[in-house]
Amino acid sequence: MSDRKAELERKKARLAAIREEKERRKREKEQKDAEEAALRAPGAEKDQHKEIDEMLSSLGVAPVSDVLSSLSSLPSGSTENQSSLTTPDHSLQSTTVTSQSTVSKKKPTNLSVVNVQTTCIPPKETVLYCKGTQTNQTSNERDGYFEDWWRPRKAQAFGYYDEYNLNPGLEWEDEFTVLTYDDLQAEDEESSLPTLAGYQSKLPPGILPHGLPQVKEVQPACTSLETQEQKKEEPKPVRELSEEEKMMIVLSKDFQTFMDRCGRIMERALSENIDIYTDYTGISNSDEKNEDKSGTRLSLNRVFHDEKWSRNRYVTSLDWSPQFPELMVAAYHQNYESPHEPDGVCLVWNTKFKKTTPEYIFHCQSAVLSATFARFHPNYILGGTYSGQIVLWDNRVQKRTPVQRTPLSATAHTHPVYCLNVVGTQNAHNLISVSTDGRLCSWNLDMLSQPQETLELQHKQAKPIAVTSFAFPFNDVNNFVLGSEEGTVYSACRHGNKAGVLDMYEGHHAPITGIDTHMVQTGISFSHLFLTSSFDWTIKLWNMKETKPLCSFDYNGDTVMDVAWSPVHPAVFAAVDIQGKLDVWDLNTDTEIPIVSTQIEGNVAINRVSWTPSGTHVTVGDETGKIWLYDVGEQIAHPRHDEASKLVLTLQEFKNNQTDEEIDKAPTFNSGPSSLSSLTSR
Amino acid sequence: MSNEVDEILKRIQSYKGVVGTIVVTSEGIPIKTTLDNTTTVQYAGLVSHLADKARSVIRDLDPTNDLTFLRIKSKKHEIMVAPDKDFKIITVQFQPND
Repeated sequence: MSDRKAELERKKARLAAIREEKERRKREKEQKDAEEAALRAPGAEKDQHKEIDEMLSSLGVAPVSDVLSSLSSLPSGSTENQSSLTTPDHSLQSTTVTSQSTVSKKKPTNLSVVNVQTTCIPPKETVLYCKGTQTNQTSNERDGYFEDWWRPRKAQAFGYYDEYNLNPGLEWEDEFTVLTYDDLQAEDEESSLPTLAGYQSKLPPGILPHGLPQVKEVQPACTSLETQEQKKEEPKPVRELSEEEKMMIVLSKDFQTFMDRCGRIMERALSENIDIYTDYTGISNSDEKNEDKSGTRLSLNRVFHDEKWSRNRYVTSLDWSPQFPELMVAAYHQNYESPHEPDGVCLVWNTKFKKTTPEYIFHCQSAVLSATFARFHPNYILGGTYSGQIVLWDNRVQKRTPVQRTPLSATAHTHPVYCLNVVGTQNAHNLISVSTDGRLCSWNLDMLSQPQETLELQHKQAKPIAVTSFAFPFNDVNNFVLGSEEGTVYSACRHGNKAGVLDMYEGHHAPITGIDTHMVQTGISFSHLFLTSSFDWTIKLWNMKETKPLCSFDYNGDTVMDVAWSPVHPAVFAAVDIQGKLDVWDLNTDTEIPIVSTQIEGNVAINRVSWTPSGTHVTVGDETGKIWLYDVGEQIAHPRHDEASKLVLTLQEFKNNQTDEEIDKAPTFNSGPSSLSSLTSR
Repeated sequence: MSNEVDEILKRIQSYKGVVGTIVVTSEGIPIKTTLDNTTTVQYAGLVSHLADKARSVIRDLDPTNDLTFLRIKSKKHEIMVAPDKDFKIITVQFQPND
């Protein structure tokens, strides 16, 4: 009986269970349909729900869809929004629901607002280090090191701190990393202790902080320098200029001036290649120039040459700037190979900088035969031309052609001007020019339209003197000496009742090529001395007061083209010949042969010789347009004090020889070609 | 007049070891160059920046002062900048070994 009863009970229960199951399924289906109609939720999600529902139902829990339907009654914009709402809630919902359902299964779901436990995880900071930061700001660099370093010391150094640490459960190190210790860590161990004391005092004694002292995030290491750099890194848009714009700039006056000035500076900078890394402690290169500068040696320093402007033009004149002793003006003759280039060229070279190009380039339509710096106007350069015009260039003007020129008229020169000089003082000076037709003109530099005065140079109403060279004695503006094509040397004066040619000095038998007066200032005046060079292969030394030469130097084996006294040594002069030989004579050492001579490369004719104002260099200009700058030896460049008195003795010796020769009635200076010409002339 | 500018550039270029010359405006835009395009743009941008910075450094140190020349020596090159009010010349030269 009991067995049957029991079985009946079991069957009843099963039936009830089946009924319940049926009922539930039906309800579920209805629910599903309603949900489908109402939501039209995406299938995937539904599948998910179904799965969950099944899972829940197997546990005997109300399906999620119930919960969802109650949730869906809430106003919500879109299904997507809802899905985003629902998904994270799954876990929460399920947990709460399970906890509830364990108590009472059948109870209607009671939803309440639950305080969600929020946890804030600070974002992982990415600290970037750069070298600048490490050196400037030591706060962060030692973090790792610092921790390890402090660990054993914390007990002593931070022992006081325990009283503030109200939460003994927390390890010190845990908070340590987020504490700011900017000022602490910057200090060293010893010095940090007083700072720690300071830190302690910062905390109010009565109020204990809530668990920890001020805690804040460590700022990422970032110095002001870094931010600046970041700002700079922003790519600046580079605007491209069109060709027209570029052309406009190039043609603008500003640009021209800039190019002229900065180009020059750049060239100077480029040629200055001094090795500033010289290490004298290291092993030096054995091929160091250990040259002996004490002797009389001539050594080539440099060559001035411009491929375009000076090639194939022979150097007609050399002059030095009185204001800037390193500047040299050189005049060049015509280049017959390039007829389209201007005939006359004048280049200003700089001996101070190693720059190989001329400082200024000037040119004009006629070959320049003589050029000079206008002595009291540092910007002017004057040129005497083949046509007879005198031209004036100004280096302040961005122009290579003359800014002024004298007229080509009978009132001025109509013949080549080989002689040009500025004489006088700052307040009263004149430009003196002499042309080969024997006309001397003096000009005021402010008015080149007509000469201030003219003078016909002729000796005793004979034919005019074809003047090839002239020279003024030191500090003399009135008297001067001039060399002629006939070989005769004359002295003349500009003013006075006997203005014109005064004396005649005979001795040379061929055209005079160069003449130079003695310029060295010593206690004894030698300004009456002058030298001449001639086609007759000789150099002669003259005294202005005597019509016969003091001495003739018959050393050269060819035409002597030019002669120049040293500006510092009273007894030294330089001479150049047509074979390319440069001789330096010292009358106190030897009167027969030069003390030093050198041959320029290529054996080309040298046309002009000139000393630098310092007397330490001698420059020669050849027929190919090259100017060679030679260093002279110590003995020549820096004369001893007794050289002047020695020269007096030498001159006395010359005088004695002269009288001896006169007594002997021997023909004077009959050697070389002069003997031939003297024979023919007799 | 424009060929005088070219002549100056050619003269600078003729110096020993000169790699190239660039003329730029104050904004660093190249006007004349003897280098190829990419190198020019690179040099013009970077070097004129540096020159501007150098000038401002000089001026900050002493307002009455001004930058006149900038010379950078490196192992390989020497960069020279001649700045002016409106333009700059930048020249790059090989560092001579001796």
